[in-house]
Amino acid sequence: MNKKHILHLYWRAGFGLLPKQLDDLSSKSREEVVDALFLESAKITPLTINTSSLDSFTKEALDKSRVLRLEYNKLNVGLIKDYSHKWMDRLVNTNETLREKMTLFWANHFSAKNGRINYVKNFNNTLRKHALGDFRKFVKAVSKDTVMMQFLNLNQNNKSKPNENFARELMELFTLGVGHYSETDVKESARAFSGYKNNFEGAFVFSKYQHDKGVKTFLGETGAFEGDQIIDIILKQKQCARFISEKIYGYFVNENINQSHVNLMTEVFYKDYNIENLMRYVFQSDWFYNAENIGVKIKSPIELLVGMCRTIPLRFNKTEELIRIQTILNQRLLYPPDVAGWKGGKNWINTNSILVRVKLPSMILERESFTIQPKGNFTDKFKLVYVKNKYQEKLNVSVDWKTYKQHVKKVTSNELLFSLVLCEINLGTQNYLKTLGKLTKKKNLAKIMSLPEYQMC
Amino acid sequence: MDRRKFLKNSALASSVFFVPSFLKAFENVDLCSYGYNKLVVIQLSGGNDGLNTIVPYRNDIYYKARPKIAIPKNEVIKLNDEIGLHKKLQPLKRLYDQGDLSIINNVGYPNPNRSHSRSSDIWHTASDSNKYLKSGWIGRYLDFYGKHTHQAIEIDDSLSIMLQGERRNGIATRSASFLYKGLHESNFNKILAYQNSKHLNEHNLGYLYKTMIDAKSSATYLYEKTQNYSSTQDYPTKNPLANQLKTIAQFINSGINTKVYYANLVGFDTHAGQVNTQDRLLDLYANSVAAFVKDLKRNNTFKNTLILTFSEFGRRVKENAANGTDHGAANNVFVIGENLKKQGLYNDLASLSDLDANGDVKYEIDFRAIYATILKKWLKVDASRILNSSFNSLDFI
Repeated sequence: MNKKHILHLYWRAGFGLLPKQLDDLSSKSREEVVDALFLESAKITPLTINTSSLDSFTKEALDKSRVLRLEYNKLNVGLIKDYSHKWMDRLVNTNETLREKMTLFWANHFSAKNGRINYVKNFNNTLRKHALGDFRKFVKAVSKDTVMMQFLNLNQNNKSKPNENFARELMELFTLGVGHYSETDVKESARAFSGYKNNFEGAFVFSKYQHDKGVKTFLGETGAFEGDQIIDIILKQKQCARFISEKIYGYFVNENINQSHVNLMTEVFYKDYNIENLMRYVFQSDWFYNAENIGVKIKSPIELLVGMCRTIPLRFNKTEELIRIQTILNQRLLYPPDVAGWKGGKNWINTNSILVRVKLPSMILERESFTIQPKGNFTDKFKLVYVKNKYQEKLNVSVDWKTYKQHVKKVTSNELLFSLVLCEINLGTQNYLKTLGKLTKKKNLAKIMSLPEYQMC
Repeated sequence: MDRRKFLKNSALASSVFFVPSFLKAFENVDLCSYGYNKLVVIQLSGGNDGLNTIVPYRNDIYYKARPKIAIPKNEVIKLNDEIGLHKKLQPLKRLYDQGDLSIINNVGYPNPNRSHSRSSDIWHTASDSNKYLKSGWIGRYLDFYGKHTHQAIEIDDSLSIMLQGERRNGIATRSASFLYKGLHESNFNKILAYQNSKHLNEHNLGYLYKTMIDAKSSATYLYEKTQNYSSTQDYPTKNPLANQLKTIAQFINSGINTKVYYANLVGFDTHAGQVNTQDRLLDLYANSVAAFVKDLKRNNTFKNTLILTFSEFGRRVKENAANGTDHGAANNVFVIGENLKKQGLYNDLASLSDLDANGDVKYEIDFRAIYATILKKWLKVDASRILNSSFNSLDFI
């Protein structure tokens, strides 16, 4: 398989490749390379965290005591931070690359957040479990997940007092898109989803007393529908297959949608709503490897960070610093901005974020000082934000240069550039690179990674 | 003057070695043709308790709802027979007496959201509470009427959504020299030195380069334009808002062509032990604004400056068990400037016997009507283009 195409595939389906891995794969056919990618992700490995420090808290005790609740919340905040660091480590170290990339995609599609670690962990693993599975089961699982139910007030949706928030977003953002349902459909489906609750442990509970058993008319069908049946009716609409295909195309192929390609994807997906089949079809298609699709996507902050960490084995030693970098770059794991998720593309880039992106490699690799602070949180106490912040500090990262040097032992600097930068390098920048002369391996890497071209994949 | 000459001259004049022509030279409308007015937006982040800020000191419901944290009648700075200011707002009382302050009560929006980040986004993007916009109202102002990224400045390290448009962005900087020096530390300048605008296109990579070039030219402009100015005004020390406002005054008084500034004071999320915290924060707020206004007046720039203060929501009328208050809804907004049309209290406080289902103050004035008024009457642009719908203008300016 053509090396450029392998890199393209691995940047979209994963987080890039080392020169050595690229060499190994180049002797295989496209079919073999794609098959291997799926084979590696066949397994589902949940992301776990030890939450035994919360075991002693009971619902009854928490309901009674404010002091206890504050303590409980604080522990949760800390554990969620640890969990996000574990997620980052997973993204960097996993061989189940495609599954993790898909999980990241779905986390921004079914965008929700919560302040309790056990709910957050379950939701994250629900996304991982279904990431390449059956979309029908996926949507049903998400509709019964505590994080989603609480985020979109589904647990407050009762027979006598319906809350339409979830029903609306289910159609607008998760399955059909604006304009493919009516306000009546929103109201009627909200009735079908009434009675959805969760218990303290985060398990789904169906309250038949709060469920509206009456007849509903939804997207032209009439019956005493429950939530799952509403989802079945939604999936009968070809628009649903199209909506998801278009979103996948925008994320994995090109933000400029080619309708004829999306039409092909829609046909594939509508057959069985199998996500793996759809993705396999995309990665096997000739058009996926068209030049206009290669190196034209702006990396998300997580893609940027994970890509760097994979190239040079490196790890952020301090969770707080990792979170701070994510916050400054506007993509903090487990904290999507709202139910619509991160918009991506040019929205990642503004006058200030581009500065940080270009400076990041030297902050990490050359230990330049880090003089940028994220905004305070709304809930921060005044003192915390303004007094505790140290103004200048260096990032605390472990960089494994020894392994890196082994990786690139026989790699020329042109080969390195080829494996790290997918897009055509700007003419002026080519001239700039020529002036650099011979650099140490470290310096060379930092220079490449701070090119605007490195922001693309 | 032909275009090429113009380009060359303007490059020399600002001593920016490279002017990104494709961004700047070919637009013939300058924001200055919309006047010299400037807007300063201050956010009290965390949700300032408006009811203890503008106090209904004769209202029994108020004192009944807040037995522990209500402001005692004798501590209030009285504005009239019903309403008074929080005791730490004495500096604002002076502005009030001079007719430089307008207090707009019960500002909010339909179906209020009580999450900090969501409600703050609603205020920043000027969206309905069930819509998710990815650009801010000031960002869209730049989209339609801006030319330079430094025409909207946030005094911080990262850019809030308020200043991000669909096509253009404002810029965030901690001080006049901070960005400029930051650029010199990195590869940024070296890479840009080799660029030629001819090779850049509208695609994503071109956009990255353009944004970089824009950042550089704005950072240089801000640094050079402010070099010869030094303020003689004393600002309160150990006051983060005062630091931000001092920087803004430096920009304004240096005569740069920025139209909008954004500053932020955090800490207002007073769920527990509210009284001391709010006392301290309102004290910081009032003193820094007073120094800022003095500074502007001394430089004869106050007449062209309007200061808008908001908070993402007000707080629950009833106090909670921890001597604090929980997230609420409608709140008051301060407008400070010279020659206000309606000085003092713009409208009455909302009734405390007619609250919403959560026990929060109902909104009377949509915050976007305030934005619309400022855009139309102060910044002299078409508000409906920026807000995506039309709101009736108010008559505070």
